[in-house]
Amino acid sequence: MEHAAHGPATWPADAQFGRSSAGKIAMWIFLVSDGLSFAGLLLAYGILRGESQVWRHPGEPELGIAFTAGLTFLLICSSVTMVFAFEAAERNQRGRAAALLLATALGGALFLLGQYSEYFGILHPGLTKEGLVFGQSAYASTFYVVTGFHGMHVLSGTIYILITLGRYLKGTATAAQIELLGLFWHFVDLVWILVFTIVYLIPAGP
Amino acid sequence: MSSETHATPASHARQYLIIFAVLAALTALEVGVAYVTGHRRAVMATLFALALVKAACVALFFMHLKWEARLLRIIVVIPLALPVVYALVLITESIWRRIG
Repeated sequence: MEHAAHGPATWPADAQFGRSSAGKIAMWIFLVSDGLSFAGLLLAYGILRGESQVWRHPGEPELGIAFTAGLTFLLICSSVTMVFAFEAAERNQRGRAAALLLATALGGALFLLGQYSEYFGILHPGLTKEGLVFGQSAYASTFYVVTGFHGMHVLSGTIYILITLGRYLKGTATAAQIELLGLFWHFVDLVWILVFTIVYLIPAGP
Repeated sequence: MSSETHATPASHARQYLIIFAVLAALTALEVGVAYVTGHRRAVMATLFALALVKAACVALFFMHLKWEARLLRIIVVIPLALPVVYALVLITESIWRRIG
């Protein structure tokens, strides 16, 4: 793989994979396997919920749709800043790319703050204080496992962004590496779209 | 779309902004649908459809699958479609058991 000084990376065309680099193919393989982990969790969630006589027990709080919709919008915004960071890096607009990466990391940090507030409360009592306690019901346990697993991805993605940003500012990370970072970040956004629908929006039945 | 070309690729800024608007609008629509009372099955089907459209938008445009080689798209899409098939089998089995 060749890199022009701070310019777009080059990669020879392949008959099957076009100009996808080995790094990009490896990232996609990782994302597919990670996606299957989420699929396993969401299928287990669906089975438990579908087979339960009572999903939300008396005393357990409802999940806040409006607040979480705000977090969803925040992640979508961070995906947009990420694609524009990649475009800027491709054009060697280094300051703009760095600022957009920082904005994306800020979006991730705010999402985590929102999730912390949802769990433990900042300006209001969190779910744990309102009676949604891990281990007390399938409703509570699956909620914390699924959203917590996703939250770990947001945390690791935010750290990944900050590390890549530091390397980019030092000149050791390229646009191609920002594209790989973007794939991970958009995956986190994509998974949240499904988690938001399945865990928060699907109404209690029947 | 790839960073790995010799020339600077064409900007997709306009498409990204359109996708952003679509995702924001669909999220608002989802929240509205979630508050619809009654018609539970129709609400669920609509919510799943909206989520799949949003996920496809992210994968195709933000993750650049639309511009990737066909083989890469196949490698990504087929394994991730299998859990959807598995979910449909489980739902069918559950409905069958309840009817029986």
